[in-house]
Amino acid sequence: MEDKEKIDEAEIEYTSYAGEHHLPLIMSLVDQELSEPYSIFTYRYFVYLWPQLCFLAFHKGRCVGTVVCKMGEHRQTYRGYIAMLVVIKPYRGRGIATELVTRSIKVMMESGCEEVTLEAEVSNKGALALYGRLGFIRAKRLHHYYLNGMDAFRLKLLFPKPRVPQIAPQDQTQQKQEIFTG
Amino acid sequence: MQKEESSSIHNESTNDSIPSGANSVWADVSPLLSASCSDLHEGELIHGDNFNLFAAMSALEIMDPKMDSGMVSAFYSIDEAIESGFAPVPISSDRTVNVESIIDIMDHLLVCEATWHMGHSLAQTVFSCIYVLRPERTSSQALLHSYCRVIRATCRAVVSVVSDARTNEEDDLLTMTYGLPFNGDEDAKGLSLLNAVEETICRQLRACKATSSKRRLLEELEPLQTNPHLEESFCKALLCRIRFRKHFLHTLNCMRRPQGRGFELARKHIASCISELDYVLESAEFLRLDLVENGENEIEERTTASGRHPIGFDSTLNKRLSAPTPPRAIKLLSWKKALGYYVKLLHNLDEICGFSLEPDLDFVLQFVIQFQKSRPDLVSRAHLQLLLVQDGKLFGRDTFLAICARGFGLDVTKDHALQKNEYILQLSQLMINLLKILCANAPWQRRKLGKILNDWSIFRVQMGITVGQAMQQDTSRTPKNGDKSLFILNHIYGWLEEQISWVALRFLMLGFDLELYSPSEYCMVYWYMYIILWKLAEKARFRVLIIVNTEERKAKKNKDYHRDMAREDRISLWVLLLQCQISLSQGLTVMLSALRNQGMCLKSQGPFNTESEKFAQHFELLQKASLPEYDAYESFTESTSHTRLDYLPVYEYFRDAQKIAKDIKVGFANDPDKLAEVRALEQVAEHNIIAVNLISQDCSLKVSFEFTHHPYFASAVVRRS
Repeated sequence: MEDKEKIDEAEIEYTSYAGEHHLPLIMSLVDQELSEPYSIFTYRYFVYLWPQLCFLAFHKGRCVGTVVCKMGEHRQTYRGYIAMLVVIKPYRGRGIATELVTRSIKVMMESGCEEVTLEAEVSNKGALALYGRLGFIRAKRLHHYYLNGMDAFRLKLLFPKPRVPQIAPQDQTQQKQEIFTG
Repeated sequence: MQKEESSSIHNESTNDSIPSGANSVWADVSPLLSASCSDLHEGELIHGDNFNLFAAMSALEIMDPKMDSGMVSAFYSIDEAIESGFAPVPISSDRTVNVESIIDIMDHLLVCEATWHMGHSLAQTVFSCIYVLRPERTSSQALLHSYCRVIRATCRAVVSVVSDARTNEEDDLLTMTYGLPFNGDEDAKGLSLLNAVEETICRQLRACKATSSKRRLLEELEPLQTNPHLEESFCKALLCRIRFRKHFLHTLNCMRRPQGRGFELARKHIASCISELDYVLESAEFLRLDLVENGENEIEERTTASGRHPIGFDSTLNKRLSAPTPPRAIKLLSWKKALGYYVKLLHNLDEICGFSLEPDLDFVLQFVIQFQKSRPDLVSRAHLQLLLVQDGKLFGRDTFLAICARGFGLDVTKDHALQKNEYILQLSQLMINLLKILCANAPWQRRKLGKILNDWSIFRVQMGITVGQAMQQDTSRTPKNGDKSLFILNHIYGWLEEQISWVALRFLMLGFDLELYSPSEYCMVYWYMYIILWKLAEKARFRVLIIVNTEERKAKKNKDYHRDMAREDRISLWVLLLQCQISLSQGLTVMLSALRNQGMCLKSQGPFNTESEKFAQHFELLQKASLPEYDAYESFTESTSHTRLDYLPVYEYFRDAQKIAKDIKVGFANDPDKLAEVRALEQVAEHNIIAVNLISQDCSLKVSFEFTHHPYFASAVVRRS
């Protein structure tokens, strides 16, 4: 185990998915850290269709974190989806996961996504806090979602609607409640 | 077509002992695989319309132990396991060892059954036992044989109740039997066989306790096993296990007959089950003796009372049956936890049997909500749902029109035309759906409630148009002269809004149960709860007026009429309870927004969006159903953006809530559940009054919110920083 104090955060390098040589790195990280078993098809499905949404973090040549995502139409909305996010234990708590996921979300937003979703285990306090800070809400709880029987939260981040010039109706009489302003 | 890599399958490993099915034969796929491999280069992926994420996730990697269900198995087939002596009959020629082993099997089966109820597959739990899979093998062993038959009959009864109820949207594994051998006729005989076995063991127990003179008379009776010192304890350990099984199956069967004496009988069986479980627990002390001597200390995690591993179980046996997904890694409950599960299940079933079957919607809804508080598991929820909705009627007895009309004191039993009214038929369907949803697990329930809000509100709009037009045409306007059906429809239309608000409130409150709100969102949640509660109270108050009016008319018509004051009082009291919750919601909204406005609580703001987007997401479904009918976010920001800490003591919301709670406690003296609710609300109010005083004097204090007194209304916790 590496000593937390010895890692200089400036030494962390982030890179976008760049080809087949990155795939074993991603697979071994995810296999180590996440409970669900994924086949190689699952990985290829993501990284070949959306390589621009996959990022890796390196420290002195060693891959220490990764994020894998997708985006597409979902019930009349264009939606991003964060499939896997992993940072190995000695490197946690230094904002690496936040940086990785923020990069993906930015690409999603620029690509026209209206929202981003993902699932996180209800007991994964670290992930829930991270996504909470980024503006995700817990939209649903999914009963026995994981193979290990745990519940999950479906987390959602809604982007603000692009501003369109509004013509305000003159005679709009809206019921307003003045309740708490005393 | 989805295989992209060369898998090292060699045909010679095909094992002859795996039989091909009736419509299938073994075929060598190696040529096909190598042909596909030479077409694809490493890293290439077939893109097809039908190869989506689900297909990618469902693809299995052969020889990966996490995915290839056929890979890690001790045996290729049940027959092979039996031939290898894995589940011998009898288990041992030593009769004491035989009895010990049977007790272990009984305990492990109890654990398997509970684990199955909790959402794992039947094939990998109860039917991992070869004695259960092949009961015909044990027909010479009355004890083991009859016990396994009863286990099978019990599984069948549970599958039947859960599949009839169809609450199983998310717990779908429970009803999947994958062609496991359920032989109804043979298994049904298990109970009488088990009775006979119980009778014999009773006599064996009497024999070993009898004095020597009497013993001679009983001499022809063979003892249970060979060690006379252990005879009594072994007899007792077996008897409680057998009796629990018997009463449990009887309970399930009686509960399918709620009318008549079904529930009364079920309650007796439930009481017997619970007391037998106590004896089962007690027996552990005796059964564990030899292990304690061996210094065994991991006993808490074991699946048997003795702590030994049972004979004849292999969870990999049915792996090939447990499709369509790769088999889940099953962690069985411990024996202690399984006993705990049954105690909870039995208490939940008892609660259902104790329900008065009052044909009153307010009562029914209150009962279901109270029942759900203990987070009951699927089996009891399925029973409740079957009780509530049968043949499209409440309790299989009362039409939903009659139930709704009773809600405002009207009798519609003679109004046959109304029964066939298109809106009434639709309303019945909505009510049936609602009751079924309320019996589902909390996450599923909330999602479905959110969805049906839209159905209800569309229905209300449509009914409003029709009833409104009819009312305009019918100029008489009084029920005496006019169309009585129309008069009732109009009341039902009014009541719909109350019911929709009730559903919306339940939706919001379940969010707390499911931990869907983060502290930075509490302010908007309480504001929304305030809006919905206010609407609900307004409509309920209106209903009280209708009831008073109806009752007065009845009393005028008939001097001897006994006015139903109880209903009026009950609803009035409920309105006051809502009023108390309204005040608390208002108080919390003001306090939270003031804290936020002055930087004492974190603002709900991330780098990608604002509070407005969070608000839209949390309440999207309510707003779609026009709850409220105006721009909710604008109203929320207007009413919360100017609150300040130094004004806080001026607001009397918490004091109002405290006062109402004090006043209505007397009214709920005979209703312990409601009384507890009122006490909790009162505590929240008291606690927050103190907190408000402290905060308004010292802005440097740290404030957080906890649900120590009430699950939905937060209490502020104030600390020095």
